[in-house]
Amino acid sequence: MSSLMMRPCGDFRTSYKQDDTIYETNTIRLVAIAAITLLCAAPMVLDAYYLTLFIQVSYLGIAALGLNILVGYTGQISLGHGAFFGVGAFTSAWLNTSFGIPVWLCIPMAGFITMAVGMLFGLPASRIKGLYLAIATLAAQFILEDFFARAEWFSGGSAGASAEPISLMGIVFDTDESFFYIALFALVFMYIWGCNLMRSREGRAFVAVRDHYLSAEIMGIKLNKYRLLSFGVSSFYAGIGGALYAHYLGYVSAEGFTIFMSIQFLAMIIIGGLGSVKGTLMGVVFMVFLPEVLEGGVGMMKMTDWGNIPMVVDGLAYIKEMAIGLVIILFLIFEPEGMAHRWAQIKNYWKFYPFSY
Amino acid sequence: MQKKVLVTSILSCLTVGVASQAQAKDSVFVGHLADMSGPTAFVGKNYADGVRDSLAYINKNGGIKGTALEYETIDYAYKVPQAIASYKKWHSRKKMVAMQGWGTADTEALISFVAKDKTPVFSASYSGHLTDPQGKNPHTKKPAPYNFFYGASYSDACRGLVQWAAADWKKKGNQGQPKFTHIGANHPFPNAPKAACAEYAQELGFKVMPSVVISMKPGDFKAQCLSLKSSGSNYGYIGNLGGSVLSLVKSCNTVGTNIQFMSNIWGGDKKIFQAGGEGIKNYVFPTMTPFWTDTSPGMALIKEISKMSDPKGQKERVHHYMRGVCSTYFMKEAMEWAKENGGITGENIKKGMYARDNWVPKGLEGVCLAANWKADDHRGINQVNIYQGNYNGGDIAIEKVSQVTLDRRVDWLGY
Repeated sequence: MSSLMMRPCGDFRTSYKQDDTIYETNTIRLVAIAAITLLCAAPMVLDAYYLTLFIQVSYLGIAALGLNILVGYTGQISLGHGAFFGVGAFTSAWLNTSFGIPVWLCIPMAGFITMAVGMLFGLPASRIKGLYLAIATLAAQFILEDFFARAEWFSGGSAGASAEPISLMGIVFDTDESFFYIALFALVFMYIWGCNLMRSREGRAFVAVRDHYLSAEIMGIKLNKYRLLSFGVSSFYAGIGGALYAHYLGYVSAEGFTIFMSIQFLAMIIIGGLGSVKGTLMGVVFMVFLPEVLEGGVGMMKMTDWGNIPMVVDGLAYIKEMAIGLVIILFLIFEPEGMAHRWAQIKNYWKFYPFSY
Repeated sequence: MQKKVLVTSILSCLTVGVASQAQAKDSVFVGHLADMSGPTAFVGKNYADGVRDSLAYINKNGGIKGTALEYETIDYAYKVPQAIASYKKWHSRKKMVAMQGWGTADTEALISFVAKDKTPVFSASYSGHLTDPQGKNPHTKKPAPYNFFYGASYSDACRGLVQWAAADWKKKGNQGQPKFTHIGANHPFPNAPKAACAEYAQELGFKVMPSVVISMKPGDFKAQCLSLKSSGSNYGYIGNLGGSVLSLVKSCNTVGTNIQFMSNIWGGDKKIFQAGGEGIKNYVFPTMTPFWTDTSPGMALIKEISKMSDPKGQKERVHHYMRGVCSTYFMKEAMEWAKENGGITGENIKKGMYARDNWVPKGLEGVCLAANWKADDHRGINQVNIYQGNYNGGDIAIEKVSQVTLDRRVDWLGY
C-alpha cells in the first residue's frame, strides 16, 4: 500500500502486466535470486542454532502469512490461528501414523484438512464482523484446544503424537542441516504463492472486501464467498506451517497451541505490517530473533564476575520478558504501519539521495 | 563518537568470545532449562535453584573427578520455541553432554532431538510415558530412550495415593464403595496420570467418577466444587499446581464439600499451606525427599549446597529443591562412571545410569531414595512417601502417613 503512495516520479506503467509484477525492478529480482542461492549454502556455514532459528522463521512465517491474508488483506479477524496451526500439526502426524501416507504427501493434505476446519469455524464471518467475529473465532481456539487434549484417536490426548521425519527418495530429512532445505523450499514456495494470490482475481476481491464491503458487493463480489475463502486460505497456510513444525520436532504435544500462540501470530503481522507479504516475513524474523538477542545480552552479563550471581541472572530474566513487551509497544507507537513501511521509507530515502522530498 | 563506541563494543565482544573459547579445556557442558518467570514458576524456581546450586557446588568441589563442569541456566519461561533454540545452541556450540530440563512442554518437544543427539535429559516432568525407553508398552506413543527423571512417575505417585486412600477408607470404618475423582485442567500435565490412575482405583474397588475440570489458573471453582459435592466424591486427586490448587481448596471450603484431597507432587509443599491458611485441612501429597527441617544424614550436604545461593544459610527450601539436587547428583555420578568407562559422552552417561542397583548418590543418604534404572525400564523410583498436613494455626504440621512401594508391573511400564 505504502509503496503506491511513495512511487517515484516518472514511474509510468503502460500495461497491467507491469502493474502487478512481483519484482518491481530487475535489481530486486536478482537480489532475491542471489539471496536464495546464498541461503542454500547456509547449512555448510552456519551451526544448528542459526539453522533452527531459520526453520522457526519458516514454519511460523508460513502460518503468519496466512493470518495476514485474512487480517491484512481481507479485513477479517481471527484469534484462533494458533489452534489451526495445531490442527495442521496433528493432522499431518495422524495421517502418517494411522494410514501410512508418506510424509511429503501428508503435509499438503494436512493443509487442505485444516482449510476445511478453518472454513467451518469461519462460517460466522458471513454474518458478523469486527469484535463479534473476534470472539467467534476465539471459540474455535478453545474448542480445538480442548479437542486436542481429549481426542485420543487423533492427537494421542495428553500423551501427544509422534511424527516421523520427512523422507523423500530414500533421503531422511531429520537433521537441522537437511530440514533447512525443506523449510527453505516451503517458505519460498508459499510466499511466492501468497504474492501470486494477491495478484489474482481472488486477491483483488479480498482487498475490495476489506476496503469497502458495500462497494465490493455492488460491484458483484460475493462477500460470503470471499470471506469464507479467505478463512480457508488462511487456515491452509496455518496447516502447512503446523505440519512442518510437527515433522521437524518429531513430536506434537497438545500443550503448545494456546491462545498465546494466536496472539503471537497477530503481533507478528502487526509489527511486520498488515497487508504486506514481505512485512509478514520481517515481523516473524523480528519476533523470533528478539528473545534470542535479549538472551544473548543476558548471556554477556553472565560472563562478567559481578553479573553471574543468581540475583542478577534472575532479575535479567524478568527484564528480558518485559523488554519484549516494551519493544512491541514502542514499535506500535513509532511505527504503526509496521516494518514494511519503515523499509519502504529507508529504500526511498536512498533512492532519492540526496534529493529526498 | 558513535564510531568509537561501535569499535570498542565490537572489540569487547571479540575478547569475551575469545576468552570463553580459551576457558574450554578439560571441561564438559551441562545445559539447564528453567522456568523462573513463566506459568509454572510457582514451583519451577525452587526446583531450578536446587539444580543450579548443585551444579555450582559440584564445580567448586572438584567437578566430575577433576573435569570442570560448565553450565548455563536459561529461563525459557515455559516457551517451547525458546527451549528448542537453547537446546540447539548448547548442542552445536558447547558440545553439551547432558541437560537438566524442566516441564512437560520442553521435555516432550525435545524427545526426538535428544534421542537422535544421544544427550541424556533429566527432566522434572514425571509423565509415565517417559519411563518406557524401548516402547514395549503399546500405550507408548514415542519411546524416550534418553529421558530420565528422579522420582516416581505421576501415574505411580497417583497409584500410591489411591492405595493409601483404600487403606484410609477401611481404617475409618466406612462402609460401601468409596468414590474417586480426578480434578485438574484439561492439559497434558494434569492428564498424564488420569487414565492409569483411574484404572488402578477401579481395580482397588473405587467407583471412579467423571473427572472435574478446573483451569490451571486461579479462579472461582465453586461450580466445580458443587459438582464434587453432589456426586459425593470421597477422594479427589488434584492434578494442578500453585494458585489453582489454592483456589480449589478455598472454593470447596465455601461450598462445604466433604472430600479428601490428594495432590500430585507439585501441588503440595509448605508454601501451599502458608498461602492456604486455616482452610487447608488434612491435605495429602506425595514426596520423594525429606523436608528441610528433617534430620536425615544427607541433609548436611543439602544445607551446604543451599549456601551456594544463600551464603548465610537462612533460606528454608521446599522439598522441590531437594528433588532438583537429587536429579543433579544422579547425573553427576553417572558422569563419573562415564569418565572411568570411556569418557564423558551422552551415550556413556546413559550407560552410567544403569550401572548401579539401589543407587543413592554419595552424601545424600536419607535424602534421595534408592533408584534402579534399567535399559528397558526407566522407572528409577517406585517408592512413594505420603504425607498429610494441616495449617494448624500457622504452625504447619506435616506428618508421614504412609510409604507405598509399587510393583514394577509390566503393564504399568510407560503408562
